[in-house]
Amino acid sequence: MIAKPILEVKEVIAGYGKMSVLNNISIRVNQGEVVTLLGSNGVGKSTTLKTILGQTDIKQGEIIYKGINLLALKTYAIAALGISYCPEGRQIFGNLTIKENLISGAYLIKSKQKFNENLEQVYNLFPILKERKNQLSTSLSGGEQEMLSIARALMGSPDLLLLDEPSLGLAPKLVDLISEIIRNINETGVSILLIEQNAKLALDNANYGYLMRKGAIALEGTAEELLKTDRVKDIYLGIGKV
Amino acid sequence: MEYFIQQLFTALGYGSALAVLAAGYTMTFGIIGLVNFAHGEVFMIGALAAYFIIQVAMLPFWAGIIAALAGSVIIALMIERVAFKPVRGVGMITLFITSLGASTVLRNTTILLFNDRLKKFPRPNFLEGAYKLGNLFIYKRIVFVVLITILICIMLVFLVKKTKIGIAMRSISYNINIAQTLGINTEMVIIIVFMISASLAGISGLFWGILFGSVQASMGALPVVYAFIASILGGVGNVLGAIIGGYIIAIGSSLLVAYLPLDLVGFKPLFAWVIFFALLIIKPSGLFRANIK
Repeated sequence: MIAKPILEVKEVIAGYGKMSVLNNISIRVNQGEVVTLLGSNGVGKSTTLKTILGQTDIKQGEIIYKGINLLALKTYAIAALGISYCPEGRQIFGNLTIKENLISGAYLIKSKQKFNENLEQVYNLFPILKERKNQLSTSLSGGEQEMLSIARALMGSPDLLLLDEPSLGLAPKLVDLISEIIRNINETGVSILLIEQNAKLALDNANYGYLMRKGAIALEGTAEELLKTDRVKDIYLGIGKV
Repeated sequence: MEYFIQQLFTALGYGSALAVLAAGYTMTFGIIGLVNFAHGEVFMIGALAAYFIIQVAMLPFWAGIIAALAGSVIIALMIERVAFKPVRGVGMITLFITSLGASTVLRNTTILLFNDRLKKFPRPNFLEGAYKLGNLFIYKRIVFVVLITILICIMLVFLVKKTKIGIAMRSISYNINIAQTLGINTEMVIIIVFMISASLAGISGLFWGILFGSVQASMGALPVVYAFIASILGGVGNVLGAIIGGYIIAIGSSLLVAYLPLDLVGFKPLFAWVIFFALLIIKPSGLFRANIK
């Protein structure tokens, strides 16, 4: 059986203004899968996510989500289709309390009951957020802010979650926790496109992976295949010859 | 002592007009970093619209209120479309310059069309007169504007703090790109903020007419500067702070004049500037927490 894609990025060239960062990128995320995007700094991983969200200038190609072409849509309309984004560096709203950050994530949820269910779900996943819900979000530690950022993304009941560097700057113990959380989220049926510097964390959790280099896909394969390839480590560190 | 209390009470009227103007000012300042000098012209258009409906067209007072609100909102949306939307995201300085341009064009066009003479603003009967409390005069018009201001203040704080749209406004002021990725229609929220801000300017214009009994085409020039200072004083984007800031400036400058020798009353505007520079030196973030980074 061929798995059904939820997201297909097809031969996309995109960047900021006249400058192209992505040079002919094609990525596919199947329904219910975790797909990871690997690569060293500055190869265009975050730009890929921003391009999916309509926040870059696309010159060529198309992006199909659940059969809908996202190219003509505004960012908020793309989010309304069920794509949530957990940005690099947390990017929580520092002027809001923890609870208010979560409410902002549920902006599109109209039913009060659904909102309460989602709130319950993220409080179960991250009890610390419930304990400190009325505090200003900047009072949280780095790891807790990452949890808030993930929780905020989950409040919108996404079908596809775009996760950008969730383990960045976290202690090893927390990295394991993030890994567990990614699996938990995926088990509830959410497809995930994961960007990671930590290749082991990424490939341990992913079904499929892409390796980016200089704005293009250098290598792709199932997680098992990629783990076995010596080239992964080489290219990943940016010292390999492709 | 009685003199002091009388002066203080009278300043509450002027303070309410500044407070409501500053509340609207700080909202657009907070959400898109807009230092909007055309806000004074929105205020003026609201007052003049009410003047034309009540004094010239001889329609009842409530029709004047509707005219003030409608006039302000329409002109503010036009300014947003022409002067702000095309340059949004380019930076605060550009927005500031286009707002000055819009302000100059609107003020001078209005002066050309209707001249700049004071126009008598008719007060409705229920706002005429005063209650007497000992030797104090409690003017009905001041009681009226203060009560309306308190009501507006409660509504605004509730809107910004407790409602979903208020949380959306604050998230946009912090990081508009992230707010969009959460499905917040930022364009729509910004337009709503402009409409609320303009309505407040219109109400402030009405207050001005009720309190001072006259309006004119250049009336927005000074109040907008005070509204700007009040919103800095209260912490940018902080509605309650701006309202308090408005009262501080009005009460401070009124008392200053009340106690200065007669030949120095021209120094009335000095108070706001002294406050402003003291603030920039001592606490540039404002007295209360700002709503933006």
